[in-house]
Amino acid sequence: MSLIETKDIWKTYDMGKIQVHALRGISIEINKGDYIAIMGPSGSGKSTLMNLVGCLDTPSKGEYYFTGNRVSQMEEDELATIRNKEIGFVFQTFNLMPRATAFHNVELPLIYNGSSKEDRDEKTRKALAAVDLTDRMMHRPNELSGGQRQRVAIARALVNEPSLILADEPTGNLDTKTGLEIMQLFSRLHKEGNTIIIVTHERDVATYADRILFIRDGQIESDELVSTNEKKINGTII
Amino acid sequence: MIFWEIFKMAANALRINRMRTILTLLGVIIGVSSVITIISALDGLEQSIRAELEFLGPSTFIVAKMGIIRSDEDFFEALKRKPLKYEYVKAIEEGCDKCVKVAASSSAFDTEIKYRNNKLRNVQVRGSEYNIIDIIDFELGQGRFFTAEEDLTRRHVVFIGTTIQDELFPGVDPIGKSLKINNVKYEVIGIAKKKGSSFNDDADRVVFVPYHTFVKQFGHPRGRMSIFVKANSVEDVPDAMDQVRNVLRARRHVAYEKKDDFGIVTADAVMAVLNDITKFLRMGLVGVSSIALIVGGIIIMNIMMVSVTERTREIGIRKSIGARQKDILMQFLYESLIQSLGGGAIGIAIGVILGKILISLMNFDMTPSVSAIIVGLTISTGVGLFFGIYPAMKAAKMQPVKALSYE
Ligand SMILES: Nc1ncnc2c1ncn2[C@@H]1O[C@H](COP(=O)(O)OP(=O)(O)O)[C@@H](O)[C@H]1O
Ligand SMILES: [Mg+2]
Repeated sequence: MSLIETKDIWKTYDMGKIQVHALRGISIEINKGDYIAIMGPSGSGKSTLMNLVGCLDTPSKGEYYFTGNRVSQMEEDELATIRNKEIGFVFQTFNLMPRATAFHNVELPLIYNGSSKEDRDEKTRKALAAVDLTDRMMHRPNELSGGQRQRVAIARALVNEPSLILADEPTGNLDTKTGLEIMQLFSRLHKEGNTIIIVTHERDVATYADRILFIRDGQIESDELVSTNEKKINGTII
Repeated sequence: MIFWEIFKMAANALRINRMRTILTLLGVIIGVSSVITIISALDGLEQSIRAELEFLGPSTFIVAKMGIIRSDEDFFEALKRKPLKYEYVKAIEEGCDKCVKVAASSSAFDTEIKYRNNKLRNVQVRGSEYNIIDIIDFELGQGRFFTAEEDLTRRHVVFIGTTIQDELFPGVDPIGKSLKINNVKYEVIGIAKKKGSSFNDDADRVVFVPYHTFVKQFGHPRGRMSIFVKANSVEDVPDAMDQVRNVLRARRHVAYEKKDDFGIVTADAVMAVLNDITKFLRMGLVGVSSIALIVGGIIIMNIMMVSVTERTREIGIRKSIGARQKDILMQFLYESLIQSLGGGAIGIAIGVILGKILISLMNFDMTPSVSAIIVGLTISTGVGLFFGIYPAMKAAKMQPVKALSYE
């Protein structure tokens, strides 16, 4: 059974006079352990697709199955539970709580599922260690660099050991070198068994993944495997 | 567990947005303190008047022509009644075995009292029998009260309250001196203990003269005479009142089916009337200050709305990592509850203090009432919930994607 299966999903925004079809019939299948990049021009529907896959939103039409469960008809609170337990979201703009420490930001998903204090402490430390931020635990976002902030966000995405990590242009707000470090981190997480989907419009970033989906005007334009000679691991071409 | 964590988030948000929190608190404080001021002032008023009436004592009652008037009809009916007669005193003494002390008493207020160049106007001059001092709660300070003998022989002796002493005889021992009541000379024979004053009424601004002397000077005080009666004990008051009623109805030839044509006043009956009045005041004033509370509530609601809008992104982040609607709802509801309860507690404290000041301005005293505190906490919780629920719902119902993309 595939981890994710979308069947002809549409997302239509009703703008009064006109209807914007952000997605027009997307059918994809993603398996556990996959590392996928989604590419496409600006406004092609990449973020819309990520939001649907990440259960932040529901499709206007079509079916979406997550671990075999039909998500497309779920209520907001059921979606919240899936987001909490099964999905780790990483955003371009980090989306950290500005006044909270790195520790508290990472701990927050655990609070919402009612984990005990000891449990939270242990998992938060583990996640921060995984992104190499143990020594910055008590810093607030404004005391951290862009790369460090994104690593806090990744730790937060990891903390509940989700089935799927989604990253919407995670390097978009970072310089090339820092972006590279973040991509190396994702590669490592993938090697450790995580399933990852990443949105980017840079080929150099996309080639860290095993497979690239191209989207144009809300439709899949192509679906290709990254050739071994282009594939990047730890920033070097193999 | 999760509730406590969410509560901490709420408290933290309030700490961070300090200015906004203070503003909200202020709104609640103004509302709650005005309600509590009024409630505690009214409570204090009632307490004090109750205390004031205790000079009647639980075993004492007054027989009067008018009694307690509750309506216009009562008033016009009572006006037509025949006055009480002095001989009823003797009749009551004989016909009421549950009565231990009976005394006629009458008073005049259109008076002028002089000692040398000092003058006081509108002093209460009370013409009473010698034993009134055993019935009412006025104690002997210095000298003595007048005797039955002095009353019957219409002697010009006077027993004065401390206000008269202070204002007419500054620096002089009044005992043995003579003062003039409406130009008639009296010798001061005793001074009362200070009773303390109350709302618009100085209980010590009074002089007592013998009943018959009073009648000689002021004429027969038609309709003004009342009879003070002290029953054997508190338990005997109802029986004593029945006996007194029977005596008077017989004396005044009241037909069997007719109502009494005289009144009997007890402290309890006065309190009942007073309760009616303060209930009315309470409703009116609490109505006015509820407006202040609603204003406080609207301030909470507005500030919470601003806060929800400003924190749209925060809400989006929380939702994206799995906060459910009720988690967000609770967080914002806690925020408004903390503020309304915090403001409520401060408002209660301020209200009780202001109420006490208000009461002391009227020369009363009070102890803070439990009802004010309960009312204060109840309304502030109510305001917090009522005005906090809408912004909290708005926050809880936000679309995660929209909230996240809010600039
Ligand atoms: N909330 C919305 N309301 C209306 N139109 C939207 C909304 N979100 C996205 N769109 C439109 O849907 C299309 C796809 O947007 P998006 O998924 O953000 O593109 P991408 O991430 O590939 O740049 C765009 O044309 C965008 O304008
Ligand atoms: Mg996008």
